[in-house]
Amino acid sequence: MNWFGFGFDGFGQIRPADVSGQVLCKVNTPVLISDVCRSNCRVRVRASWSSRADVHHADCCSGVCVSGFASGSSEEVGRGILPQSQGCTDALISERYLTLNFTDRVECWEIQYPQHKLVWKREQDNTGHAAALPLVSGGYIMPKPPFFRPLCSKLCALSLALGSEHAVLLTSDGTVYSWGSGSHGQLGHGALTSQEEPQVLEALWGVPIRAVSAGNWHSASVSAGGDLYMWGWNESGQLGLPSRGLEEEKRRGKSSGNTEQPVNEDGKKEADVFISIQAFPALVDVPNVFEISRISCGSRHTAAVSGTGDLYTWGWGHYGQLGHGTENSRDEPTLVDYFPSHRMCVKDVICGLWNTFVSAVPKEQPPS
Amino acid sequence: MAPIWTDVRAVLPSTASEFPLQFSEKIELSVLKVLELARDQLYSEADGPASAERAQLIIDYSWEKLNTGTWRDVDKDWRRVYSYGCLFKVLSLCHGYPSQYNIQEAIKTCDMSLLMGAAIMDNILQRLVGVIRNKMKMKSPNKAHRSEEPCSKKMKLDCVSEPVINPAQAVPRIHCPSLERFRSDFLDPQKPVIIEGITDHWPAFAEHPWSIDYLRTVAGCRTVPIEVGSKYTDEEWSQKLITVNDFIDRYIIGTAEVGVGYLAQHQLFDQVPELKGDIRIPDYCCLGEGDEDDITINAWFGPGGTVSPLHQDPQQNFLAQVVGRKYIRLYSPDETKNLYPHQTQLLHNTSQVEVENADLEKFPDFSKASYQECVLQPRDVLFIPQQHWHYVRSLELSFSVSFWWS
Repeated sequence: MNWFGFGFDGFGQIRPADVSGQVLCKVNTPVLISDVCRSNCRVRVRASWSSRADVHHADCCSGVCVSGFASGSSEEVGRGILPQSQGCTDALISERYLTLNFTDRVECWEIQYPQHKLVWKREQDNTGHAAALPLVSGGYIMPKPPFFRPLCSKLCALSLALGSEHAVLLTSDGTVYSWGSGSHGQLGHGALTSQEEPQVLEALWGVPIRAVSAGNWHSASVSAGGDLYMWGWNESGQLGLPSRGLEEEKRRGKSSGNTEQPVNEDGKKEADVFISIQAFPALVDVPNVFEISRISCGSRHTAAVSGTGDLYTWGWGHYGQLGHGTENSRDEPTLVDYFPSHRMCVKDVICGLWNTFVSAVPKEQPPS
Repeated sequence: MAPIWTDVRAVLPSTASEFPLQFSEKIELSVLKVLELARDQLYSEADGPASAERAQLIIDYSWEKLNTGTWRDVDKDWRRVYSYGCLFKVLSLCHGYPSQYNIQEAIKTCDMSLLMGAAIMDNILQRLVGVIRNKMKMKSPNKAHRSEEPCSKKMKLDCVSEPVINPAQAVPRIHCPSLERFRSDFLDPQKPVIIEGITDHWPAFAEHPWSIDYLRTVAGCRTVPIEVGSKYTDEEWSQKLITVNDFIDRYIIGTAEVGVGYLAQHQLFDQVPELKGDIRIPDYCCLGEGDEDDITINAWFGPGGTVSPLHQDPQQNFLAQVVGRKYIRLYSPDETKNLYPHQTQLLHNTSQVEVENADLEKFPDFSKASYQECVLQPRDVLFIPQQHWHYVRSLELSFSVSFWWS
């Protein structure tokens, strides 16, 4: 299992700093992440704006190693497993905190130098709990004090995605709830009002959902049948809907890549209808793809893995986080050509705020 | 002539220690590190450039913070970080021998920090825009000489309907009332009135008569927020940031295809101090309780046909007309029940009724509401009492200045 990364690299979270200490800011084509532990352990990558955390889960090593800003200055010795993370089952990294989940407790460590500092801890019985962070027994962990927020147990939470000011929850019966700020339509209830408590997404009622994700101001969900629904702010095309801002960017000639207008099958230009805010879930068509298996959102971009192992990205691209070799934003789901070109099958995708991390295997291998 | 970089660099403090980067703990250490690297780079070499990439990083990251939560809740320090990002970007644009495009971009960047950021280092970006603007003016003298009028095509569309004022409903006019007279007859009873003769001394009418030419000279390269769409209650309504030159080219002189554009409710006089010198705060504002600093001065500049739907404001208003004429209708707050305000929090101060095209089936009581109306002329000042409903339509190219006071 190899991990690749592209996008914002201002702190060496994709490519460790070279000898001179100068780090190029943007990686616009996938590169192999060289410092991920390559033993047989399964690694899950988590990312914030400035850092990356690799969660190792194997007999040989069980814990988290960090890179980027969280790992401190480049003089620091090694990027091994953080001692405090030994035995952890899951981790999340935000700009200020590293959250570590254990079977008997969950901890928040403040990222600072020379050593991270434990600032919060909660005992729990997490042994039967299958869900990933930020969900824990009885609620979830926010990346800021007071950290623990209770969730009504009747909800049977399966997976929770936290945006910068909203939350999207998937429950075990395939229902989606959302709460938080609604100013950019990111709650999907049809209005721009905010909600304090989890509210069912009526528009998806009856459609069993199996995955949810949240960016800063947008949300995504994948149905059991592999359909992708998105809602929220589309200012950079992160919903895969026509974006006025991108239209103007193209007109100003900022595109260094393909400047042709996209045409539909009839050869006519698409209608001049732009979506700025989509307050209800919209079905997003990914060309040539019948089902989506994984979805992840950065602050203003989106990445999706198809059932056949291809990666598609769209939205804000100024830091190369779309992986197409340019710094253009896209308002249409676009194949990341690197992987099929290198005969790789994409397994999973995790977005940091301004970057994208992908796990992939060579196509010859039978899918594990 | 000294290159622009010399003048720009002269505005900066001479040492890094005089270049403070003090923020609350809300500002994360990671972005603080980028700020420090950007500052240190400036002072490490004698003539060091600033990194455009680092500047953009700071701008992009703080922009995301500025768009999180309501504007009121945004931590002031994130707005300061945004301003620092703009400062570093301006420095990188002005280094060496910048092109005209770069100089315009530098001015636009200063404007973005004035519009969205918070003042830093003694309002350094306001000082910088003055320095850079001088360089721009010297390089493009042609624009100042071109004399322009709104094109005739546009004017034909503007003069759609010239309203006839019913004398029985006309807003009364008074010439230079004393403070006492104004207070007793209009301010205390909260009655609208048009005051004549109090703006003749404004440089906007005397030394620098305002015209399209003049505005181009003084503010042409400055970036301002423009409202696009016939009125702010429309679904198609949006805002964009363009230069005053572009606004004039596209929405004043240009063809009608782009729709209506309006430089509305913008504190232009804070952004462009030269224009502030052309106007004066009406003396009658001293009758209020607030300080002069609390008075909000807004510019309203647009072609004929701009509409402000019937709405009410929480403060007293003096609306001074400088260029062109506006049709204005006023309803007392007593009439509110007949004016069908929107029920939402966002628009509860705005009526649902289109004043000059009222749907009386949907809003039958509107015809019961009594009102006053006027055509405001250049040099007139209309007193709109607090909470008084008002509807405004420009009849031709118009520039008004409003003073909100308490």
